[in-house]
Amino acid sequence: MTQKLTVLIIEDEHTICDFMAKTLNAHDYKTITAHTGREGLAYLTSSLPDLVLLDLGLPDMDGIEIIKETRQWSSIPIIVISARNQEKEKVGALDIGADDYITKPFGTYELMARIRTAIRHSNKILDDHVNNNRPYSAGGLVVDFEKRRVTVNDKEVHLTRVEYKIVSLLAKNSGKVITYDTIINEVWGPYADDNNRILRVNMANIRRKIEETPGEPKYIFTELGVGYRMLEDENLS
Amino acid sequence: MVKEKLRDIWKKAKLLPSREDDLNKSPLNDWLIFMAVFIGMTLIALTFRSVVQNPDLNITMFYILGNFLVARYTSGYIFGFLYAILSVLLINFLFTYPYHAFNLTLDGYPVTFIAMLAICLVTSVLTTGLKEQARLLIRQEEELMEAQKEKMRANLLRAVSHDIRTPLTGIIGNSESYLEMEKQLSDEEKRNIIENIENDANWLLNMVENLLTVTRINNETAKVNKTLESVDDVVSSAIVRFKKRFPESTVKVTLPEGLVMVMMDPMLIEQVLINILQNAQVHAHSTRPLELAVEEREREVVFAVKDYGIGIEEERLGSIFDGDGTYSQESAADGNKGMGIGLSICKTIVMAHGGCIEAKNHGQGTTFVFSLPKETEEQ
Repeated sequence: MTQKLTVLIIEDEHTICDFMAKTLNAHDYKTITAHTGREGLAYLTSSLPDLVLLDLGLPDMDGIEIIKETRQWSSIPIIVISARNQEKEKVGALDIGADDYITKPFGTYELMARIRTAIRHSNKILDDHVNNNRPYSAGGLVVDFEKRRVTVNDKEVHLTRVEYKIVSLLAKNSGKVITYDTIINEVWGPYADDNNRILRVNMANIRRKIEETPGEPKYIFTELGVGYRMLEDENLS
Repeated sequence: MVKEKLRDIWKKAKLLPSREDDLNKSPLNDWLIFMAVFIGMTLIALTFRSVVQNPDLNITMFYILGNFLVARYTSGYIFGFLYAILSVLLINFLFTYPYHAFNLTLDGYPVTFIAMLAICLVTSVLTTGLKEQARLLIRQEEELMEAQKEKMRANLLRAVSHDIRTPLTGIIGNSESYLEMEKQLSDEEKRNIIENIENDANWLLNMVENLLTVTRINNETAKVNKTLESVDDVVSSAIVRFKKRFPESTVKVTLPEGLVMVMMDPMLIEQVLINILQNAQVHAHSTRPLELAVEEREREVVFAVKDYGIGIEEERLGSIFDGDGTYSQESAADGNKGMGIGLSICKTIVMAHGGCIEAKNHGQGTTFVFSLPKETEEQ
């Protein structure tokens, strides 16, 4: 029998907590629930879960503090649960080390997909060389990192150097949101202009090259005010 | 809009007193203005006299001008009066023969002085009256705007309480009947009940999200926090969210060839797009896929959502964004809940961006069009 993965849920709202625990149990995860930040931190150190679902609005402390404290000693994946309309809070959480976020209200499907992605990316740190060079492939889009080639439905797409950098960054982190700042840092370096116009220009061009209808993207989704998220890799999900 | 702009310009030109000016004004300030004008005019008059021969008439003109200024920039009548009397006396003292002495008995001069005194007094009374009127006008306008705001708020509140109660009634009723009659219900009935609850809950969520967007608009200035955003991103995000709610629907999206960036609050504009699309999806009974097109013009970017449905009566087109026609018999009759506050929120958001929104029939259905002005980041 395989070892069950443990998920720690830190959420003060009991009904939401119950709903997530039930869903996760049904999908063969072990769950621990904590209703306050302190309780959550205690479980984090004592039972070393494989993933944390964290609500930022806790009664006793700011969820951001929990991320900060955890990141001092662990790279355990943290998924933040946040309300829509609070994109600054989301970006803040991602900046200090959260892996991803999920917007309230969410369905079971979305929740499971986020958890799978986060766990997959945390494993990748361990066997980096295996996963990293395997081509990304989803819904007809293939990114071959070794040959630096991008194809859509077997037709080669000609991307500029910068466009390829963006696509490969998103593909390597497929399923996960990547903030504007992270992309700019990775592609143009730390001294790049803060203005993200150049990123938008490149993204518009990429979409016009790889998407059938750029207004209704299949591969690269926009998370308004936060960043971009690429369709999850089929081989890995 | 035009009125406000005009008032701004007037304020800048100091033709109208702004409210802050009036509030900050202290008697000390008035005294300073009074002294400055009086001394300034006297100096000018003295200089003038040393240059020009026989300058008496012109000198009175200077003082009348000074009187006007004093009456305009001080509050109340008192300084205008004081200036008038003092200037008449000073002219007599300094500028009429015999110099440096009062003499009110000279031939013809008393008439001149009395006339000048009268002119000065009338000027000061008229100017002060004008000022008073301007202030009244501004206050009236402010009161009118406040009343309009109040009316909007009341309308919104009424719509909201209606809109919240309806789905809540559905949710509570359905869950109660499930709990009470769980044993008697067939599986299909159970499923039906849960589906109803889900529908109502989704509807409620949509509403709450709409209301939350309004909190992003600054209450005082009715302005939004704009950033330079790509139209691609906003449209694609809106479509993804719309499809999440209506998975079976199709939308034909047409974007401009190149990248278009506009100053906006992207979350708000996304909400506008979703509201319009949902309105079309739920109410229009479109026979063909909805069409969303974005077009870049010289000074604005235009978003248009076109449906091929039943259209909207001409008389409702004008007020459809005001929440007035929301609960008409027509929408009650076709079995759908009213669009509620969605469209009026669209209008609020677009107006806050300095754009405009309208609905029109195109023969085979309705087009909702809104535009956002193109501006640079500095503005």
